[in-house]
Amino acid sequence: MKEDYFSFTQRIFSRDTVFEKPEALNGIRVLDIGGFVYGPHIGKVLAQFGAEVIKIEPPFDGDAYRMGFIHGRAWKYSSPLFQCVNTGKYFVTIDFRKPEGKELFMKLAQISDIVIENFRAGIVDAWGIGYSEVSKINPRIIYISCSGYGQFGPLKFFPSQDLIAQTASGIAFKTGFPGKAYKLPDAYGDHLPAMCGAVAVLAALLYRKRTGRGQYIDLSQAECLIRIMHDFTYISVTGKELSNTGNVDPTMSPSGIFKTCDGKFVALAIATDEQFTALLKAMGRTDLATEFESTFDRLKPDSLMKLNEIVEGWVKTKTEREIIKLGMEYRFPVARLLDDVGILDDEWRRERGSVVEVDDEMYGKAVFPGPVAMLHKTPGRIKWLARPVGYHNRYVFKNLLGLSEEEIKKLEKKRVIGYWDNVPGCAPPSYYNIEKDPIFKHGSVGGKDEQES
Amino acid sequence: MSKKVETFSHHLRGKVGYLLRLEENLKTILGSPEGKPEALCDVFVIEASYADFAGAFAASLLGEFGAEVVKIEPPGGDPARKITPWGVNVKGYGIPYLIESRNKQIVELNLKSREGLEKFKKLAAKADVLIETYGPGVFDSLGIGYRQLSEFNPGLIYVAISPYGHYSSRAKEFSKMPSTDLTAQAESGFPSLIGDPAEPEPYNYPLKAGIWAAWYMSGALAAAGALIALYYKRTTGEGQMVDIATHDALPVCNGWPIVSAFTSGKPRDRLGMHDWLFPYPYGYFKCKDGYVTIVTMRNEDFRALLKILGRWDLEDDWKYVTDRLTDDLDRINVLARELEKELQKYTRDELAKKAWEWNIKSARDRLRARGFPFVIKGPTFKEVLEENHWKQRGTFMKVNINGKEVIVPAPFSRCTETPPRLKWTLRE
Repeated sequence: MKEDYFSFTQRIFSRDTVFEKPEALNGIRVLDIGGFVYGPHIGKVLAQFGAEVIKIEPPFDGDAYRMGFIHGRAWKYSSPLFQCVNTGKYFVTIDFRKPEGKELFMKLAQISDIVIENFRAGIVDAWGIGYSEVSKINPRIIYISCSGYGQFGPLKFFPSQDLIAQTASGIAFKTGFPGKAYKLPDAYGDHLPAMCGAVAVLAALLYRKRTGRGQYIDLSQAECLIRIMHDFTYISVTGKELSNTGNVDPTMSPSGIFKTCDGKFVALAIATDEQFTALLKAMGRTDLATEFESTFDRLKPDSLMKLNEIVEGWVKTKTEREIIKLGMEYRFPVARLLDDVGILDDEWRRERGSVVEVDDEMYGKAVFPGPVAMLHKTPGRIKWLARPVGYHNRYVFKNLLGLSEEEIKKLEKKRVIGYWDNVPGCAPPSYYNIEKDPIFKHGSVGGKDEQES
Repeated sequence: MSKKVETFSHHLRGKVGYLLRLEENLKTILGSPEGKPEALCDVFVIEASYADFAGAFAASLLGEFGAEVVKIEPPGGDPARKITPWGVNVKGYGIPYLIESRNKQIVELNLKSREGLEKFKKLAAKADVLIETYGPGVFDSLGIGYRQLSEFNPGLIYVAISPYGHYSSRAKEFSKMPSTDLTAQAESGFPSLIGDPAEPEPYNYPLKAGIWAAWYMSGALAAAGALIALYYKRTTGEGQMVDIATHDALPVCNGWPIVSAFTSGKPRDRLGMHDWLFPYPYGYFKCKDGYVTIVTMRNEDFRALLKILGRWDLEDDWKYVTDRLTDDLDRINVLARELEKELQKYTRDELAKKAWEWNIKSARDRLRARGFPFVIKGPTFKEVLEENHWKQRGTFMKVNINGKEVIVPAPFSRCTETPPRLKWTLRE
């Protein structure tokens, strides 16, 4: 007998065997020298699928995003948002502005495959660790510079950040009712460009696998956002601006967020003719079918608003549960609105593995987002959470570069490498005895024995 | 003609000449994609997306990097052609479809007929990547699911994009439920975070993002997943299944809702114009002739902003970041009212210029304690189109559609070896 499709998929995507399966990007070494979300998120995606990602921070205060607390509240002396974009990485510190620091970075770059930076344009070159320098000693390197405006052009030196990229691309003025502007939440202007960057890096990696040639990638945050906007094409076709439309999606008719009779909200958007017919059947308004037969005419502002009014009146008479049930029965797209807690408690996300319970050595039991895509043979995984500033210094410098304890002490003394300032976000949690941690103290899992032998 | 360049960074002091020479060099090596190889020229992609732009965007991304993409459409065309803002179309093709049909060969194939299925199987036997959005179990019941295709093409990467993925209890329960971008956003928690509850009804409703936030994010995740699987395939020869859930793409990618709910135990409130993470002021602010974006992350940045606006009298009460945290809206609104009143006195250009001049001085300052308040002019869409910077970078491209010239966004990145490119739009 043929196996049911869902039991087949459940079996191949089983969460129980994730850590026994191979990793796709095994053997790829990545240097992640940026800060905040935009650059490090690329490193995180690669780390989830098996790349060895070394996050290099300035000594003592580290990445400024370590202090990125929601409403200023820390969790176990760290920022959960910082943890989110930095799971599964190695944390080392190097001060690039010191000659020894530059030398140390170059040694790492020589044995690495990918460098990710998201400083302002020109800064890595000013420090002497840009592509022009690194490619001299390692021509196979893939070097991605993530900046707001790109590496050339009149605005290239301009600083950028999630909100500034949203402004520069014009995406800022797409959300909300006319006369208002709301930002896209959850650093969308960082995460989407970062995913685009990950695609570019992976394409370059495949090219290198075939030809052995590395390259330089110039990624502009605002350009990535412009890439997903329809406004500019709309202007060139009609001569008018599309601007913001509140809760109406002008590409779908009817569409919007409607209040149900039990005071909840549902989102409903009809994209195709068959979904529209299904909705009319569910509403018992098949008489409207002839009036709104043509898809393009249905999308015209007047008919869209008229349909929206009809739907609004209909939704008001039903509960959220009834509407969703009707959507399933008749097959038109409708969904409940979830908030943060709703997402966390959503059972299917845990089954799916996108909300993962992790048991971390330093931070204990916690719930974190899983891998960005589910691959059945080489699943992504969260190996550990973020670590304090400079936690893996000895581990990386001893094992990868073969530095001795004396050499590391010398670098510490010159403040080329260093450890955390005792502030939330940078330091280890107060309950954790860092002095007994062999990876931090000796740079090896085996600890002292290995040192003595 | 001498070129005057001002930077915001003390790191660049004394190195601008060197950097400009580098930039000239960069322009030539990054500038034009002509004559350069393509990263994915050995990859064959089949896109079978149906009224879904997540799949279309994923295939576009692979196509831009050189993959050969064949888009399978049902007879009469993909309904995605008719998904377009206010019904605006160019000869029957909607605007999003014009943008996302780049570098694709469009083939009509009836998957309900035996003939069509045979043709599809023949194509799939050669394919490296198959992207489909028909929902869990649909292709399997037609005999072209991952189980059947992987038997004669073990190297196939089967990218499934669906509302709830192809496994888990909810995927099974809702397998027949169609989805669009707005419903995906709703279950991703975006509308519960956007909007201002203090406004009158219906302006106080949860608000959707004005772009296809969920569809495009899912598409980017799918493309990344496909390339990771492809890398594994190039190492071992094995294909696999990649599963993307559009209703889950946003929270799994940014993780904020998950960790925020886990650590605080309650959902974040909608704060209107304010931000959860950054202290006030952070956001878009109305001024005389439009919007400016203001970002002041540190104490010194905010103090600098007060100096620029000539409101140093506020400094005493709002000195520290901790004074300006957004957890107490009543408190923040006291400052917000003062600042917003002040900003109304200036135009966008005046404010941006004031901040720019301050920042230039600040970058030259040896003590580096003057702060960098970022005040950026909020452009209109037409101003973005006219922006010289994007013109020089070639961010917008003109394509010819049946004799009509249309502007579409160019591929997003520049590469020295294998730049992504737009070769054509709409080829049947």
